[in-house]
Amino acid sequence: MPKSQFLDPNELRKSGKIKFKDIPVNTYSKTVEEESKNYTKRDFMRIYRDMAIIREFETMLYEIKTKNNYNGVEYSNPGPAHLSTGQEASAVGQAYILDKDDFIFGSHRSHGEILAKGLSCIEKMDEKELYSIMEGFFGGEILRVVENLRKNSGDVKELAVDFLVYGALAEIFARTTGFNRGLGGSMHAFFTPFGIYPNNAIVGGSGTIALGGALYKKINEKNGIVICNIGDASLGCGPVLEALNMSVMDQFTKLWQGSHKGGLPIIFNIFDNMYGMGGQTYGETMGYGQPARLGAGFSPEQMHAERVDGYNPLAVIDAMRRKKQLIDEKKGPVLLDVLTYRVTGHSPSDASSYRTQEEIDAWIKHDVLEEYSGKLINAKIAPKEEFDEVRSRVRELITRICAAAVDEKISPRMDLIRDPQAIEKLMFSNTKLPKLDERKPDVLMPKSENPRVQQIARKVRFGLDENGKPVSKNRVYQLRDGIFEAIIDKFYEDPTLVAYGEDNRDWGGAFAVYRGLTEALPYHRLFNAPISEAAIVGSAVGYAMSGGRAIAELMYCDFLGRAGDEVFNQLSKWQSMSAGVLKMPVVLRISIGSKYGAQHSQDWTSMIAHVPGLKCVFPATPYDAKGLMNSALNGSDPVVFFESQRIYDVGELFHEGGVPEGYYEVEIGEPDVKKAGSDITILSIGATLYRALDAARILEENHGVSAEIIDARSIVPFNYDKVIESVKKTGKIVLASDACVRGSILTDMASMITECCFDYLDAPPVVVGARNWITPCHELEDEFFPQADWIIDAIHQKIMPLPGHTANRNFTENEMLRRARYGV
Amino acid sequence: MANAVIMPRQGQSVESCIITKWHKKVNDKVEAGDVLFSYETDKASFEEAAKVGGTMLHIFFDEGDDVPCLENVCVIGNPGESFEEFKPKSQDKDETPAKAVKAEAQIPVQVQKTADDADTTRISPRARRLADKVNANPEMAEPTGPHGRIIERDIERLVSEGKLATFAAGGADEIPNISGTGLGGRITTADLAAKVTKSDMPEVEEIKLSNIRKLIAKSMHSSLSEMAQLTLNASFDATSILEYRKLLKQKGEAMGMQNVTITDMILFAVSRVLLNHRELNAHLTDDSLRLFKDVHLGVATDTPRGLMVPNIFNANSLSLAEISEESKRITGMCKAGSCSPDLLSGGSFTVTNLGSLGIESFTPVINPPQTAILGVCAVVNRVREAEGKTQVYPAMGISVTFDHRAVDGAPVARFMQELCRALENFPMLLGK
Repeated sequence: MPKSQFLDPNELRKSGKIKFKDIPVNTYSKTVEEESKNYTKRDFMRIYRDMAIIREFETMLYEIKTKNNYNGVEYSNPGPAHLSTGQEASAVGQAYILDKDDFIFGSHRSHGEILAKGLSCIEKMDEKELYSIMEGFFGGEILRVVENLRKNSGDVKELAVDFLVYGALAEIFARTTGFNRGLGGSMHAFFTPFGIYPNNAIVGGSGTIALGGALYKKINEKNGIVICNIGDASLGCGPVLEALNMSVMDQFTKLWQGSHKGGLPIIFNIFDNMYGMGGQTYGETMGYGQPARLGAGFSPEQMHAERVDGYNPLAVIDAMRRKKQLIDEKKGPVLLDVLTYRVTGHSPSDASSYRTQEEIDAWIKHDVLEEYSGKLINAKIAPKEEFDEVRSRVRELITRICAAAVDEKISPRMDLIRDPQAIEKLMFSNTKLPKLDERKPDVLMPKSENPRVQQIARKVRFGLDENGKPVSKNRVYQLRDGIFEAIIDKFYEDPTLVAYGEDNRDWGGAFAVYRGLTEALPYHRLFNAPISEAAIVGSAVGYAMSGGRAIAELMYCDFLGRAGDEVFNQLSKWQSMSAGVLKMPVVLRISIGSKYGAQHSQDWTSMIAHVPGLKCVFPATPYDAKGLMNSALNGSDPVVFFESQRIYDVGELFHEGGVPEGYYEVEIGEPDVKKAGSDITILSIGATLYRALDAARILEENHGVSAEIIDARSIVPFNYDKVIESVKKTGKIVLASDACVRGSILTDMASMITECCFDYLDAPPVVVGARNWITPCHELEDEFFPQADWIIDAIHQKIMPLPGHTANRNFTENEMLRRARYGV
Repeated sequence: MANAVIMPRQGQSVESCIITKWHKKVNDKVEAGDVLFSYETDKASFEEAAKVGGTMLHIFFDEGDDVPCLENVCVIGNPGESFEEFKPKSQDKDETPAKAVKAEAQIPVQVQKTADDADTTRISPRARRLADKVNANPEMAEPTGPHGRIIERDIERLVSEGKLATFAAGGADEIPNISGTGLGGRITTADLAAKVTKSDMPEVEEIKLSNIRKLIAKSMHSSLSEMAQLTLNASFDATSILEYRKLLKQKGEAMGMQNVTITDMILFAVSRVLLNHRELNAHLTDDSLRLFKDVHLGVATDTPRGLMVPNIFNANSLSLAEISEESKRITGMCKAGSCSPDLLSGGSFTVTNLGSLGIESFTPVINPPQTAILGVCAVVNRVREAEGKTQVYPAMGISVTFDHRAVDGAPVARFMQELCRALENFPMLLGK
């Protein structure tokens, strides 16, 4: 879309061919002797130790899961354990060159990666820094446990190894002394001070999140690279393919300017163990042969794709060194395909019905620890006894840690009886964070010179003139201006803030909310994403958990399904699954359409409200839109910010004095009485407010009934005080929104009101929502979405018959039961 | 030839655009492709380029003006050409388009109690709270909520009507439906005691109204409440009809007319006279009077189930014998309860006879939407002076109630006069 790029038909129509380069496979061939220049004996032995720790850690879990006993420690662990026995070399080889500034994101089978990355960091960090990290984490809670385990040992690095293994294992056993207080567990354990970012129980879940981590590094010019550890089977997941595609966007090299020009610092590291759970990717469920082939499809550089032998730690280290070099030269991203094999099953309950013992035995013959130590013994780096000694010290370590981790006194579980709010307190961080970095924000002009800012300055900030007549659409300060004003203000305050989505730059967003932002912001702060909703939302999650603030946009609410996992499993969960370690300052703007039929007109606020961990707002006036956007952008929680295409152009009709020019916040969770009344309450969500007001006018003029109108403004959280107060006064309430009525959040609210106001009610609360149909064409929409006269009819039939009123629509119980019976 | 340039429509929802800058002035030369003006919507900015060359003849709007889409903005043409015909509509007159009135099928609401609802008294929690608070007896309230539910407003009505009990009296098992003597009309314990000790209260038997009674009640009430009814009374010398009746009784058998009654004769007379007074043979609707070409005579009939009014259709073309026969047939069916509903509607005028029960004068109630009704009264002997002598004669009274909205008093009086004359000279009427 940028005007700077000319699509020349004369060039584009020329004949030619697309050429591919060879993709290297297992080309590493150095001997130990040759590598002796690059590694000291200590380095060689550390690689062995790290692999041995992983092997013993997984063996311990296997024994616990299958025999309830490891080396004399009795324990039953009902939780999951997806073991990576056999894959140790690939994890240790990867981590060997990485330090705390490098972020890894993993999968459900990532115990090995956590341990390898942690051990590598411990090796590289000085003791002082290490100790202060341990001391600072959860107030030193984990540190105290491991200090008690090894009395009077002065070795901080040894202590740190205990800390790492214990923190990970206590997490797997769901103890409050785990890295995430046991709220993450085996598939989600992580420790950000060592650059270990969340592992993900959703296959391929880290694909888009790691992309966001890399965007954070690049946009904010932070040190380090990002590794996205995903498995071969995740290459069948749409979001992973979206992330791969978005990571190679041309704009990084063609449109981003200055120091921001160049490729993304990310390695998509595919651990190819050739199986999904039981589905065999090689030969059954995929057709690529080797995952490395995919690189050739995504960019002319073929993502520098290469397949390496993950059964040889030195081969992996060699590849990592070369790939990191490319990234440092801004030639990323990279796709690395690491051949490996898990000897244990998908989980301990796996009967390996999909593979032969012969195959497993063949790979055991190539066992990474045996093969590696054999080569070192042959090269006379160290005698066999030294390797045996490492194995026995490691066994002692894991036994000691395991015994501590299963001990209820040392490693208690969260007590939800004594502290019933323990998890509740972690669902939201509720922190005000005006900016997430101190540096000066990158902008292209002073705010006051921005054309949109100047245009808004000429607008009338209240919707009615002195005679009470509506100000014309072109002169009035609109709802879209309120959203814009909050956003541009934050762009000039928080240097980490980025906004992206489909058609955000140049076009100014499909509904002109971002008009003027293109002039104000460089590409790396406002850019167009591919049509990849999963990657848009997932990368925003990764961007925020890495330390930045993002506004992601879904052009239509109907596209929410395309980002289902990213919204419902990722955006919503990481604050609480991290026990408050991570913050999630993401505003997800979602626009609800109308006029465009069944796949462009749906209000899915109720789905968002249903999933714990998301704040959810739906402003209906310019004042509320700006105030709620300010609150959302100033906070630390994920806020799903719903907008309605019906009302982007409305002026402010309620807030006296119009929309303030300066900063103010509308508190998330507080409904607002838009019109006082005494006889009946109408609670509306979103754009339905204006139809509720029409209904109030009809009630007053035709029936002498005074209606109080409450605009929910927020859906999660929601403070019922004003609603309860109103219902106690009126005794009657209608709840209305454009969401399909079955399963609407309004029924939840109606139920709460019934419980809280039962003795005050003159009739049951009545929900008026859209029909449980497809949204028909625009011309038929009035029969689908609630209208003012529907509200009157519902009152007449279910709450209070209105003398002289004739209903046009049937809200009787029999009709509701009939509809329910047929599911319509 | 001059050409107008319109404000383009940028999107279905855009109603108007603001002109932000003019790049051409009046009398400027314009080439096709030249930018004429810049404009913006609430969403985006645009430039309008000339599609034809020429001279800018006129500009209708200034910078900053909010111009409705598709409106003429300026005119390009040859110097001297007129641009008047392109003058924008919005500058002609301030017109507001009439709003289309939506016609919708209406589904009547059913708020009556169903059989299911009848079993229990339904009352909203709020109404019960209020009743407790003010010591009202919800049983006294008339339910107006859905499913016959007593809702807040029903208790409020009790309050406004003073049907309340004091706190102490509220403790009684049952608060009777009596008016109270306490503060604000509250029922006091004394009122309750008084109710119990009052032994002189008449015993009553309550009978549920039959459907026909309810229909009559509704029809009569609406008749009296919606019309401007008044009654004129007159009498005539019944000698002629009494003699004719006597004659028929004695000799009518041969012609099958021995059972013709006085009423039949009056019906006959009405059927002949009424067409000379057509506004009385009519229906009055909201804005028109429907005059009937023929006379369809309703005969008010006392039946065991109540008053019924079957009709003799086209009575003006029936003979006295035929009218008599038809009258007996339809009133007989009504009394037997076998009357077809078709006979019960469509009448243009009604005759009711209470004279046989000795009533000398009364005010019949019009059968809506008819405009008048004739009441036939008893025959009484009266004295009159004729040719210097006093003589006694049988006088029969008639009472006509009419709707003053449809017809004035004098025409009705003239009808009565003609009817009296006809009845006084009955044989002549027969021969007519």
